[in-house]
Amino acid sequence: MNRDRRQLVLMLAPYLAGLALLVLLPATATMTMAFTHTDLIATSEFIGLDNFAELARDPAVHAAVGNSLSYLAYSVPLRLVLAVGLALLLHRRTRGAGTARAAVLLPGAVPELAYGLMWLWLLNPLQGPVNQLLLLGGENGRTMFGTLPPQWLTDPEDARAGIVLMSLFTIGETFVIVLTARLALPPEAYEIAELEGARAGQVLRRVTLPLLAPVLAVLVLRDTVASLQASFIPALVVTNGGPPPYATTYLSLVIYQEAFEYLRYGYAAAVAALTLILTVMAVLIQWRLLRRWAYHGLAGMGTHRLWG
Amino acid sequence: MKRTAALLSLLATLTAATVTAGCADTAEQTADPVSLLVAGTPDELAAYRALAAAYEQATPGARVTLIEASTAKDLMTKVSTSIAGNSPPDLFLINYRNYGQFAVKGALAPVTARLAASASLHEQDFYPQAMGAFRWQGEQMCLPQNISSLAVYYNRTLFKQYEVAEPAAGWHWNDLVATAQALTRDAGGRTVRAGEPETAGTPVAVHGLGIAPELIRMAPLIWSNGGDIVDDPNAPTRLTLDTPQAREVMQDFLELPRIGVVPSDVEVEAQDYEARFAAGKLAMFVSSRRVTTAFRAITGFEWDVAPLPQYRAPANILHSDAYCMTRTSANQDAAWRFLEYALSDPGATLMAKTGRTVPSRISVATSAAFLSPGTPPGRSQIFLDTIPALRPVPTIATWPEIEDATGKVLENAFFHGDPLDKVIRDLDAATRTVFERGAASR
Amino acid sequence: MTAGLILRGVHLTRGTIPALRGIDLTVARGELLVVLGPSGAGKSSLLRAVAGLDRITAGTVAIGGRDVTALRPGQRNVSMVFQSYSLLPHLTVADNIAFGHRIRGADRRAAADRAAAAAASVGCADLLARRPHQLSGGERQRVALARALVREPDVFLLDEPLAHLDAALRTSMRTEIRAVHDRLGTTTVHVTHDQSEAMALGDRIAVLRDGRIEQLGTPDEVWHRPRTRYVASFVGAPGMNLLPADGPLRPPGTAAGAELGVRPEHVTVIAAGSTTDGAIGEVERVEVLGEDALVHLRLGAHAVVARVPARTRPAPGDRVTVHVADEHLHAFDAITGERIPLPAEAATR
Repeated sequence: MNRDRRQLVLMLAPYLAGLALLVLLPATATMTMAFTHTDLIATSEFIGLDNFAELARDPAVHAAVGNSLSYLAYSVPLRLVLAVGLALLLHRRTRGAGTARAAVLLPGAVPELAYGLMWLWLLNPLQGPVNQLLLLGGENGRTMFGTLPPQWLTDPEDARAGIVLMSLFTIGETFVIVLTARLALPPEAYEIAELEGARAGQVLRRVTLPLLAPVLAVLVLRDTVASLQASFIPALVVTNGGPPPYATTYLSLVIYQEAFEYLRYGYAAAVAALTLILTVMAVLIQWRLLRRWAYHGLAGMGTHRLWG
Repeated sequence: MKRTAALLSLLATLTAATVTAGCADTAEQTADPVSLLVAGTPDELAAYRALAAAYEQATPGARVTLIEASTAKDLMTKVSTSIAGNSPPDLFLINYRNYGQFAVKGALAPVTARLAASASLHEQDFYPQAMGAFRWQGEQMCLPQNISSLAVYYNRTLFKQYEVAEPAAGWHWNDLVATAQALTRDAGGRTVRAGEPETAGTPVAVHGLGIAPELIRMAPLIWSNGGDIVDDPNAPTRLTLDTPQAREVMQDFLELPRIGVVPSDVEVEAQDYEARFAAGKLAMFVSSRRVTTAFRAITGFEWDVAPLPQYRAPANILHSDAYCMTRTSANQDAAWRFLEYALSDPGATLMAKTGRTVPSRISVATSAAFLSPGTPPGRSQIFLDTIPALRPVPTIATWPEIEDATGKVLENAFFHGDPLDKVIRDLDAATRTVFERGAASR
Repeated sequence: MTAGLILRGVHLTRGTIPALRGIDLTVARGELLVVLGPSGAGKSSLLRAVAGLDRITAGTVAIGGRDVTALRPGQRNVSMVFQSYSLLPHLTVADNIAFGHRIRGADRRAAADRAAAAAASVGCADLLARRPHQLSGGERQRVALARALVREPDVFLLDEPLAHLDAALRTSMRTEIRAVHDRLGTTTVHVTHDQSEAMALGDRIAVLRDGRIEQLGTPDEVWHRPRTRYVASFVGAPGMNLLPADGPLRPPGTAAGAELGVRPEHVTVIAAGSTTDGAIGEVERVEVLGEDALVHLRLGAHAVVARVPARTRPAPGDRVTVHVADEHLHAFDAITGERIPLPAEAATR
């Protein structure tokens, strides 16, 4: 082992130790727990694949897989589109841009639980500001388009939409990353397009998006990984998994309920394992789809390649 | 994914660590404080703080550390993780519907011998219905703190205003429905039929009745009708809601929204039953004693409690919480001394005065501390009158899961009007495996 | 014949700082004009004003007889090559060259054909399938040239395209730029801070200083008859020696208060004592540049640099006689810096 390598290992050691102690060890323990019956009261008992067999027939898990994937399918692209849109809108130094940027960041700074409680109030079907707003200009309890206002907490579709809606305001981090990436793009690329007479749409499609592609791809993957967990607090606080039976029961909520409400830690670990498998699958699929697109982009600008 | 998994294990470890740390700190003190884990609303937590303070004052040198949980489920998590972390609280207060698995798994220290040896507490001081609920394989596992049951809270001012007769003992379910119909009114005071917001012509200002579509609300009515909710209350393996007696009750219950006397799901989401009643928008509300504390703050109208209506015979469902001692507690003697105080006349009186509990101690339940002349509800006696008719829920470790699973089906059926046969089938399907698992852990 | 490019009274302000202060410039059709100046002189601003990338605050710009002052960059039919980042990193060489045509709606096939032709014309046909990060610096600029050429622009703007290349490549690329220009005959404005590049490349040179054109002329004119002291010192490596008129070199007929200039190439250094004609100086330092050597001399209170053949160079510390022929002397007004004609100059014309 040469000197550089030794230094590298030395510098990485604290991180690796933390990773092993705080992530790998508990993760291994959890995966082991998935094959046991564990209630944390009595000693746990090895039951082989029983938890997984039950999981395969559990209607709550079936619903949760569907809900989690649908959340992922809506929330991830919408969040990204919104964050990219706002970042491109606010990357110039104009009057009010600073305030607007702060406004985009702010919801992410609210503690998750408080954020959930706030939405519980916002989405109140009768007194909530969201529906009050939708009812403006309508009459007889209908919106101005003549439709009934969404029943956020009692209609399954509306409730799921509500959870996605909640996720659309916590894009601060994604926004900042896109904003920074956009600011780092060379002005010459835009000047080339300008000289060729490119319209705004062409600039977006042929310059901005391809150049941001590696960053966007990483953000998509990151958001995918996060989204299978991000739905947890809103589902717990705002809808508590309902409307019944399982309209907003996400995998993360099943894990929570099984472990902490029913003390079925082994079964919860099995659901966690399923969540892990689903996440890995989602990431692999996206990676295959995005790899080619994201390969270039910043690579030629002297920045490090994000994709090997 | 990985983080979820890690989080799970971490949470468990951390919770345990926190409790351990707490104990390590206090172990250095001369007199080990007794740790008591309770869950509840801010009101309830304040009452326990007062109780702890009173005990410390009454007993020089004794100290009690209160560990507060926000909900009953949060409490269960805290108990299980602290037991796993080998640093459980000395005492915790738990509902008998949830205590089953702790008893089954041997996490509790029975108090039979201590009770027999006690100079101040005696078995006959307590209502046997409450004591029975916490007996497991011949041992008294926990000591009940209260013996609550369901009652009909009613807005007396509305009854007087619309000249509706106040409920009397022995009233029938049909009387309840008729009363509710008479009290469902629009803003102009006309009787109306409540319905879905999209079909309702006039908005309802006052709904006649609020009752949560839950198995533990229907159970006493089914018992009253001569039926039962499970095949064997001591070793249940399935729901028995397909009997004619149970079907009749279910039919009546699930018909309430069609009759048009209860708020819709949207209205309940917008403002729950308790808040609705307190706001004067609900004429009657079926609940246990625990809402009393909150309702005592009502100033806009007069209210009282009435007995639960019946079908053939009086029946009611036991709601009871008990102090349980953990088997691995290192401080059991001190914990017992606290229990002796908490369940003594002064201790029980203190809790009774909060209004939230029906004391399990007979002497206090029949005293002014509970019956509280001059403070609503005026008819608190009905909670005592119903005690002989009290029945516990079936004894099974997975009961909390059964309540949740049936709750989901019933809520849907209640608000969306599923056919009865489907509801009964769905309830059975949703609970079979949970019963199996409960039976397996016996 | 209309001029290729005309700027009249062009002012441009960046923020609050004026970058161009009244540029009047006419570039003939097919001419290669080099804009020379140090950084901050306004060279890039001038190009950007022509391209329309920066909006001018006063004046007019006309390209091929067409007033483009109010037009957006895309409507001016100009091409530009930048110092770096002249290519879009996510596109192949072929797509980069075809980019403009695709933007303007040409079909894929036609754009690709024209891109291939343009690439061939600058000798990078073999690079078409590569991506920018797979190219060397020289190859990138060659492709950038093709990208700019393929449009067949009215004016071709080069913003220090060779600045980031190493010396050898810079020399060969500038030959190539000149060759391409001669072949296509496109009106070209080439910006550089390198005076030798300017000399080698330009039909004419515009020397820029603080947003103004200090001198506009052929390389010969700029070299032999710098219009100001500034041009004299900027052009040439090293620049012209400047001495007061009452200093060691005293040609006939110079007014007091003027400054005299002489290029190092025209300073003759002879061993002291071999002639009496000239000033006596001392060699302080000698830099050998291969064939030539730069001799740093001290003449009394004044420093003078001479460029002499390395074979006959003096050694440091040598006392030498310094001689300058009258026809090689330039005079500038000490206050305005403007050139003052000398009698000798009149004689050489």
